[in-house]
Amino acid sequence: MTLMTALIAGLVLGGTYALAAMGLTLQYGIARIMNLAYGDMIITAAFAAFVLQGAAGINPILGLLIAVPGGFLLGYAVYTVILAPLVARAPNRGVLEVDSILTTFGLLFVVQGILLVLFGSNYTSYTFLNEPVNVLGATIAANRLIALILALGLGITLYLLLTRTRWGTALRAVAVSPQSAQLVGIDINRAAAFAFALGGGLAASAGVVISMYQTFTATGGVVFTMKALIVVIMGGVGNLVGALAAGLILGLVETLVSTYADPGLTLAATYAIFLAVLLWRPQGLFGRAVR
Amino acid sequence: MLLSLEGLSLRYGKHLALDNVSIRVDRGETVVILGANGAGKSSLLKAIAGLVRPDAGLSLQLGSRPIAGLAAHKVLEAGIALVPEGRGVFADLTVEENLRLGAYAQRARAGEARQRDFIFDLFPKLAERRAQQVGTMSGGEQQMVAIGRALMSNPDLLMLDEPSLGLAPVVVGELFQALGRVRDAGVSVLLVEQNVSLSLALASRGYLMEVGRLVGEGSAADLKADPAVQRAFLGLTH
Repeated sequence: MTLMTALIAGLVLGGTYALAAMGLTLQYGIARIMNLAYGDMIITAAFAAFVLQGAAGINPILGLLIAVPGGFLLGYAVYTVILAPLVARAPNRGVLEVDSILTTFGLLFVVQGILLVLFGSNYTSYTFLNEPVNVLGATIAANRLIALILALGLGITLYLLLTRTRWGTALRAVAVSPQSAQLVGIDINRAAAFAFALGGGLAASAGVVISMYQTFTATGGVVFTMKALIVVIMGGVGNLVGALAAGLILGLVETLVSTYADPGLTLAATYAIFLAVLLWRPQGLFGRAVR
Repeated sequence: MLLSLEGLSLRYGKHLALDNVSIRVDRGETVVILGANGAGKSSLLKAIAGLVRPDAGLSLQLGSRPIAGLAAHKVLEAGIALVPEGRGVFADLTVEENLRLGAYAQRARAGEARQRDFIFDLFPKLAERRAQQVGTMSGGEQQMVAIGRALMSNPDLLMLDEPSLGLAPVVVGELFQALGRVRDAGVSVLLVEQNVSLSLALASRGYLMEVGRLVGEGSAADLKADPAVQRAFLGLTH
């Protein structure tokens, strides 16, 4: 594998991580819910893309148009039915954090159980545009290239929405200071439900993108939760640009390590840079030391 | 009458922070609430703003509309804006974004441009620094952002919780001059302060609070001459 091929493969992986992490950072930064079932929402969308492609003949790019709104609605339903009561009864942020971690930990097994019943525990994949294309002298599968374009496109769109529109600014305001957000007339409970739903939509988009070029399994959600969590913490909680940058870094490092060192060391490399970031900048690459 | 509040009691656990407090603010009036630390002044403003839940039995009206028990974002929409103690600005966001969020309420949308011009005229520094991140500004400038943000909602009543706290005397003087212009523009103001001489110069009327209770009320001139106020504050601040 040439260096250029490795770099592009790293960007593809990193773009996927960034996409996944942006949803988690919205859910944790704005809705204040640490969602341990996040990766399972990703896997659910991957299986949805698989079913759409296999049974209905809908290619995954069109599948996004179904999966993303589906993820949004599912996220909204999970928030209003399961999480909103926890928010209402929690006397402070610490209690909510513990309650939501325990609840979403339970949800993880519910989702995983349903997927196991429906699809079994085998690795699943489907073929979509698995043809070589030439990019800057490197050969790469077309599905990976599309995955990268989708991840970057969705990420940049989301970033522009959050920074250039009033409601996007309002969502960021809730992340910075919920109390002050109320004082300018923002309904923070509605903002939280919306942010959680938006996170669900992003998880779904990440799931579909991943399914284009990777194999996946019903029990694989936890790996994505871990990776997304690492990227969120590296980038700074609630920081979209941070998630984007940290996701790309992580993808590049993992790919370079597995290409030039040993594939068995990728996980070790992940945790090594995670540790380095935590030691060097505990608030994250783009986080602020004091809020 | 613009704001009428009767029988407000508030508890934090077993601690009674406010004990049967009643105040009123007339339209166009500037009212100050004086009191030492821990008198319950901040709690009073937070209760009006809907940030804390008071005991039952309270009567709170803005104009003819009952607003007791409304969530904070609805109180703002009804027409009461609070500049909280410690300013509560969005430190990670720019001046422009803070002001834009100030006009988030439906009531503010129509007059947004006019209100922004008024604020930039009031605090020209904010116009110069509109792209700056608020967290990187000085305390006085952040206070301007906080007041500007509150005014962006086009409030009927502007409540300020110790705007002079932690600011240099010269900055405090400028700030009160600006508040004088806000008052003259016809906005009703309810102010909580420890700086007695400046706030009595701004206000037309005031209340005196001690450990959760109202212990005095009068015109600014009467309060200035009141030995209880003199004893409690003026001796300490001069």
